[in-house]
Amino acid sequence: MKPYRNEAWLLLLPAAGLMGFIGVVPLIAVFNYSLHDIFSLADVHWVGAEWYEEIITSDRFHASLLRSLLFAAVVLSVQVPLGVGLALLVRRTGRWAVMLLMLVALPLVVPWNMIAMMWLGLIDPATGIVGRALAAAGVVFDWKFTAWQTWVLLVVMDTWHWIGLVVILAYAGLSGISPDYYRAAAIDGASRVAVFRFIELPKIAAPLGIVLLLRFVDSFMIYTEAFAINAGGPDMATHFLAIDLGEEIKGFSYGSAAARSMVYFLIVITVVWAFVRISGLSRQEA
Amino acid sequence: MGGLILRLAVFALLALFILLPLAQTFVLSFMSTLPREGMVEGQWSLINYRNILAEPALRESILNSLIYVLLNVALCIGAGLPAAYALSRYRFAGDRHFLFLLLAFRVTPPVVLSLPIFILFANLGLVNSPVGIALVHCLFNLPIAIWILESFISAVPREFDETAFLDGHSLPSFILRLLVPAIAPGIGVAAFFCFLFSWVEVVFARILTVTAGKPITMAINALFGFQTDIGLVMAMTVVSLIPGLGMIWFVRNHIARGFAMRA
Repeated sequence: MKPYRNEAWLLLLPAAGLMGFIGVVPLIAVFNYSLHDIFSLADVHWVGAEWYEEIITSDRFHASLLRSLLFAAVVLSVQVPLGVGLALLVRRTGRWAVMLLMLVALPLVVPWNMIAMMWLGLIDPATGIVGRALAAAGVVFDWKFTAWQTWVLLVVMDTWHWIGLVVILAYAGLSGISPDYYRAAAIDGASRVAVFRFIELPKIAAPLGIVLLLRFVDSFMIYTEAFAINAGGPDMATHFLAIDLGEEIKGFSYGSAAARSMVYFLIVITVVWAFVRISGLSRQEA
Repeated sequence: MGGLILRLAVFALLALFILLPLAQTFVLSFMSTLPREGMVEGQWSLINYRNILAEPALRESILNSLIYVLLNVALCIGAGLPAAYALSRYRFAGDRHFLFLLLAFRVTPPVVLSLPIFILFANLGLVNSPVGIALVHCLFNLPIAIWILESFISAVPREFDETAFLDGHSLPSFILRLLVPAIAPGIGVAAFFCFLFSWVEVVFARILTVTAGKPITMAINALFGFQTDIGLVMAMTVVSLIPGLGMIWFVRNHIARGFAMRA
């Protein structure tokens, strides 16, 4: 049992001060903006909850919300099983494991605005390796104007970008399992499925929880990559929540953008709260 | 035997998938992609890399990025280490709320806070300065640093601290002289992830550099124009990968352990 000492806050001061300055203060400012109509910083009018009402009742918001939820669901259902499967395979490669982990970590170090550019170059029918191969095979990949193909491109690209995180975290959980468990399971004649269900899954549950949370929030709020690929098109098919917000900021409608930011923040906070409740992070005790 | 071949096939496919976009970038960076005197388009050449060295704006952008990223790593480790120690060793009023706050800000999308942060930083003269970007990147990096350091510190038995205090070490002296060497891999892993996420981030880096101090990501964006030299763009992209690749190599043996956190 850890001793109870309120003096420990002194050690937390630098971190708490920093988070207050760059997190809490801006958040209060956003909340304040969201209650005003802002023409310029000198011309501000109180409007109360009008912006919120407008956003929450608009069909456009509902459509974007659904699209973002669907995208996050697709991303999670592709990346989590794939990443866990790869981690299970990587685990049995001995000293090659480090090489494979380095391989999947590569896309993580690519600057985010370059990822879309690399992929657009790759599928270019005239110059890209994949684009030329598809063209030679007679496949028409018209992602600019075909909604499902834009979606495929986004999901494949996002998987390329983030699969490393899933593999690394799942591998981290798996590497904590003592070989004795596997030996005992072999003696009992346990099936592969049973080994996964009763030995491996409990060990990777905690890191997998973090993966689920990070991947959910990041894909739910995808902005940089989605905007660079097709700017929300074709015909709004990839118009996600964060793209709505980016448009409002670019259009200088700050009051409305602030209200939208608060709505998104509340959604994210609710998800985090639910995650903490379910995973029992709040009951964490050494 | 069949299992082995299957596994090799899976890994070969994986390598192909991961490396294909990178390979195309790499190849193009060594090609002259604009019509130039005495060169055919598509000719192998180092001209793109020579052009980077010849262009002050590009060279400066690399330096700008390095400065704010390193500053951010220093801030996150400096502020994160005492906080991680406190969270690992003590219970206190509001400790769980603090962890919740960290998690909440880690996952808050940058675009949500970009506007007020810009206004706040403009009032404080932190726009166009690497200090501004280094500070704001703590929003998502400080939580990561604290989690990773906390998990490494918790792996050190508490007797280690108590013996040191009996030997007459003060808390700062203990942290700097004994704890830091004991969790050196943890500090390396935390530094790796802070470096990584700060290096690749673009939303804050864009809005906080209006006229000066452009990072490498924005310098690459600025290369797109009427007649884009795609070879130069690709060469810059390759350059932007080098620090990250170095960091991966540096922490390769600890990369997975850093995330074995208790959640």
